[in-house]
Amino acid sequence: MNPEYFVETNSLSKIYSSGKIEIAALRDVNITVKESSFLGITGTSGSGKSTLMNLLGGLDTPTSGNIKVQGKEISKFDPGELALYRRFQVGMIFQSFNLLPSYSALENVAFPLLFADVLKAERIKRAEEILDKVGLLARKNHRPSELSGGEQQRVAIARALINNPRLLLADEPTGNLDSKTSMQIVQALSELNKNHGLTIIMISHEQDLLNEFADDNIHLRDGAIANKNEMTSEQ
Amino acid sequence: MRFTDYIETSFSNLWKMKLRTFLTTFGVVIGIGALVSMFAFGKGMQNNVTSTFNELGLFNYISVFPRSAERNQNNSDHYDPDDQGYIPPAKDINQPVRILDEDFVKELSAIEGVEAAFPEIRFPAMVRFNDKENFEMIQALPAQISKTGFIKLREGSFFDSDEENSVLISDSMLRNMGIKDAKSVIGKKLEISTLAFELSIESLPNILSFLQGKGLPFSSKNYQFTISGVMELTGMSGPIAMRTNILIPAGISEKMKKIQITSISDIFQSIGQPQGYSMVGIKLKDPKYIDSVKKWVEDSGFNTFALIDQLEEIKRMFIFMDLFFFAIAMIAITVASLGIVNTLVMSILERYREIGIMKAVGASNGDIKKIFLFEAGLIGFLGGVFGLALGWIVSTIINLIANQILSGQGVPHMSYFSFPLWLCLGSITFSILISLLAGIYPTIRASKVDPVVALRHD
Ligand SMILES: Nc1ncnc2c1ncn2[C@@H]1O[C@H](COP(=O)(O)OP(=O)(O)O)[C@@H](O)[C@H]1O
Ligand SMILES: [Mg+2]
Repeated sequence: MNPEYFVETNSLSKIYSSGKIEIAALRDVNITVKESSFLGITGTSGSGKSTLMNLLGGLDTPTSGNIKVQGKEISKFDPGELALYRRFQVGMIFQSFNLLPSYSALENVAFPLLFADVLKAERIKRAEEILDKVGLLARKNHRPSELSGGEQQRVAIARALINNPRLLLADEPTGNLDSKTSMQIVQALSELNKNHGLTIIMISHEQDLLNEFADDNIHLRDGAIANKNEMTSEQ
Repeated sequence: MRFTDYIETSFSNLWKMKLRTFLTTFGVVIGIGALVSMFAFGKGMQNNVTSTFNELGLFNYISVFPRSAERNQNNSDHYDPDDQGYIPPAKDINQPVRILDEDFVKELSAIEGVEAAFPEIRFPAMVRFNDKENFEMIQALPAQISKTGFIKLREGSFFDSDEENSVLISDSMLRNMGIKDAKSVIGKKLEISTLAFELSIESLPNILSFLQGKGLPFSSKNYQFTISGVMELTGMSGPIAMRTNILIPAGISEKMKKIQITSISDIFQSIGQPQGYSMVGIKLKDPKYIDSVKKWVEDSGFNTFALIDQLEEIKRMFIFMDLFFFAIAMIAITVASLGIVNTLVMSILERYREIGIMKAVGASNGDIKKIFLFEAGLIGFLGGVFGLALGWIVSTIINLIANQILSGQGVPHMSYFSFPLWLCLGSITFSILISLLAGIYPTIRASKVDPVVALRHD
């Protein structure tokens, strides 16, 4: 494996077996992502995009193959090391935001710091700072249900970045948003990528957005990377 | 996570489902409340028994009686004065029988640790007082012994000498006679009529008339006494030796004509037998002399009875009582802990996505386990504290009612419940431990939530 890559997978496979039926969600996937680059992932529903994302985010473990992030082989991590990896190395955002409905925006953003042993006063201070950066400080006491979809996703981004990870994984972050808001969110991510050197891997249905902002694109089909020709022929 | 964070998080989580938390905790409160009040009752009764024994100096007391008066061959150490009507077994002729006489009492008094030794003389007599006649067992006691703490006086004073015609009567006897004011009887006259077998040569006519079916060989004699004090009979039955309504000085008693008797067997004993006391009491300076003095007495050929031996048995009985109560309370606590399991499992199902989020933002399995375990522990803590409070309140009310009812029957005011510190702290600790135990399964389940499934967009 080449140490110059920030994220690198090698023959990454994930097989789900429910009963006697085995579903190959990912098959021999090799991807490489340079530091501070923006990778776009497309693919039809069920093509294994989320599966790949969860493996990269340390939420799941591969059936075979391996994953290297910043030179560390996370596919060999034990559950404790994976928790630390999720806590400090990577931030994740989702189509359904996954905010805690009973928590305020501020509490949601500060939540990861709870597991990082940060004192309460410090947690609030840091959460306010980062909420300010996504332009939602004025809404800090609002519950997710009192915020628009775009605002909720910005809160989720703030939460993903609170522990200063170098890698952000976005699983269809614009899937629940209208096109104007989607544009704003992707612009915000792009700004983090360009100005702060954040490495971003983003899944999206919207090829136009990816074409505009991503440095590179891959297309998944039936759990495997499809070549460019197939990709274009599908468009 | 920090300790304070766990507490704050579990508090706010429980607060979010107030009703369920309340109901679950209430189950624990009932269980712990039952446990606490039952233990408090057991402990309270134990305290009452022990303190009564202590107060009366019963731990310093040994009774001595002759081997021939053994009531029970198998269990010769346990003498039961209530076991009347028992006819003693035929005597072992080979064993020389020592007599409980004055010499022996003197010998006893000289042993190390013995404060006083005195004959326990009891005899039946007819007592006339306040125009009423009652058949009573009269107890004779040396004047100086009467003051050593066996007897508590409600009114009046003890005898000053062994020769005066004074009598102490019990407050329960007064109560039975319908006299409320103990003070009013001090100085009043009381008549005792004794019965005596007439077995001497002089009484031959009596025996002959008995044999002719004309009457019993008894003679009767009247003695006048002045009431000098009223004794308090405790709520418990009181010291066995002193369980009597009438107490007279030993010196006077010796001069009276009477049958000495502690049980029917003494009647047989007194016929054609060398005379002796039927029982001698020993008061020790300290309970630590019990074993040495008992051994000395037994080596001299007598049987002994010490209440302190009974105490061990009573303590064993209390342990059984505690175990029984514990078993009952454990049923309530088991139900309560099933409630905790149910609540936590429900809560995990509802917070499935939340657990996934926790994992996604970097919570370890241990963090998640601890969050749920803290919630279980907090339910246990609250249940323990409020359960203790409930137990205390219920016990206090029962105590009030019990005393109200029993005081009408002349039982002195008592605390039937006791709340020692170990019970208070122990019940809370126990509640927390049980709740943590109940939290183990839900906690493991929570930590096993698959974040991929929990976070999946549907
Ligand atoms: N936990 C699972 N158990 C069984 N099958 C799964 C599981 N998760 C995903 N799959 C299957 O794996 C395939 C890929 O799913 P996914 O990665 O979610 O696709 P995408 O995100 O591209 O829509 C699908 O066929 C899906 O049904
Ligand atoms: Mg998906």
